[in-house]
Amino acid sequence: MNNKARTLILPASLMVVMALLVATSARAGDKVVYRLKWLRNVSVVGALYAETHGLFEKAGLDVEVKAGGPERDAIRELELGYADFGEASADQVLRARAKGAPVVVIAQLFQVNPLQWMYRPEEMQIDKLADLRGKVIGVTFGGNDETIMNTLLAEAGLGSTDVKLFSVRYDYTPFYRRQVQFWPVYRNAQGPLIAAQLRKEGEGTAFFNPADFGVKFVANCVVTEARTLTERPELVQRFLAALLAGWQEALDPKNQEEAITTLLKYDPDTPRPILEEQLQITRELIQPDAAVAIGTIDEKGWEQTERIMRGQKQLPGVVDLKAILKPVSIRN
Amino acid sequence: MLPRRVFQFFIIYFLFLGVLMALKYSLALSDYVIPSPSGIFHTLIAEYRQYSLATLNTMTVAVIGQILSVVMALVIGISGRQSTWLGSFIKVAAYNFQAYPIVALAPILFILLGDGFLTRLLIAAMICYFPVLLSVLGIMSKPVDDIEHFYRATGRMRWQLEVKIRTFENLTQLTTVIAGSATLAMAGTIVGEFIAANAGIGYNIRIALYQSDLGKILIALFLIGITIAVYQALLESLGAIIKRAWTGR
Repeated sequence: MNNKARTLILPASLMVVMALLVATSARAGDKVVYRLKWLRNVSVVGALYAETHGLFEKAGLDVEVKAGGPERDAIRELELGYADFGEASADQVLRARAKGAPVVVIAQLFQVNPLQWMYRPEEMQIDKLADLRGKVIGVTFGGNDETIMNTLLAEAGLGSTDVKLFSVRYDYTPFYRRQVQFWPVYRNAQGPLIAAQLRKEGEGTAFFNPADFGVKFVANCVVTEARTLTERPELVQRFLAALLAGWQEALDPKNQEEAITTLLKYDPDTPRPILEEQLQITRELIQPDAAVAIGTIDEKGWEQTERIMRGQKQLPGVVDLKAILKPVSIRN
Repeated sequence: MLPRRVFQFFIIYFLFLGVLMALKYSLALSDYVIPSPSGIFHTLIAEYRQYSLATLNTMTVAVIGQILSVVMALVIGISGRQSTWLGSFIKVAAYNFQAYPIVALAPILFILLGDGFLTRLLIAAMICYFPVLLSVLGIMSKPVDDIEHFYRATGRMRWQLEVKIRTFENLTQLTTVIAGSATLAMAGTIVGEFIAANAGIGYNIRIALYQSDLGKILIALFLIGITIAVYQALLESLGAIIKRAWTGR
């Protein structure tokens, strides 16, 4: 081989290697950003499971799962192009849609809203909404728990003077000190933690679930931009299938150990027994009825949520739910 | 001074709004991401009264907090001006105290003192006292040799006189720092309210964030900005009056 041939072979080989690298990375998967509603904890265990167990890769996707938080808004990120999919609660979706945001719901994660009120059963018995009269009730002013509680009070015919609403934050001291009788918590995440704290003090806990009194307010859903759904239905289908498979597997009692290990990776401070309890409660909230598939959109629940928000003047007018709710059928 | 400050604030605020609108219309963003001008106007009409009262509430706390912090900084600065062991100890204690982030301390304060007036006041004072303290320490530790030499040589120097001389010689610097610290006091109060209080414009911003309502936040920013502009202009005018009274110029 002469020198000229050698000098041609080297760049040619480099080009082949580069072409191969590019081809491999293209096959590695479509890049997708998924913005969670909250921090990496039990409430997003399905996404964490799909991420750590390679379910997204199997679907040919390179998914970056980003933690959420109070200052994160998946719907804004979708519109600004920072995320492709996200989690948002129904009230967020309805507010956004009322202001023209092109967001659509492709699946509903929680069939029962995890936002419930904790109380001490030895102090009171709540059999009907009227039993709330005279109680000190914690609400996050501006949050959806305020909307839910106002609806419950209206249903019970109770006015602002019949109960005392107390502004809550992340600090539970007022509840521990019994200044507040009802404290809003995420039943599956904070509920077991606080209940364990109170158990140590010999106190019992109970949860007041608005759904038990006919008030359904839809919680976390999977959302994307309307354009993504129309222009890339195959991507949406693949993503959702992998995500819901993650939820299915994470909540399957057979995979409990795997799910706990996944959670411990992101949430190492929560004791294992608490995680087990959190996971069990999450199962009941995500799939309370085995006949209803994970991810099913509860249209009646959405209708009620829209009515509640309109009734409380949080929406300027009727929001067309048909344009929002776009269930995606999953091909296996 | 006051009209100029307010006018300058209007320029900044409307430039900011202009940039937002340019983004909104060039990227075809919905009113959810960036509200339209008419949406902002409607929010202003709807929320003006409540937000104005909340801003005044915050401002009251910020002003008292600033007074507290200036007094605190003057006391610590004057006590710590000497290169004695006590002076150095006071400086170290003041610096260390500042090293703890307020965002971390605020929840503890709210747990201990509740979410009322006192906690907000303390947070405002804690945030704005340090820059004032640094200036006071700097000014008070630096001798004005030309003047002080005479009093030292004649044995008439007392600490009160020393403080007076150094204050007089650095009056412009001091008033500028105090006027500037007003912004910090306001920011501190808002941070405190945002974290845990039940009143004030920071609390309202928090509620608006829960409702993903950028229109309300823009109105809150407008009211905060204009209030600070007016307050700073008043402080600067006050500084000019004091200077005139002292120097006769």
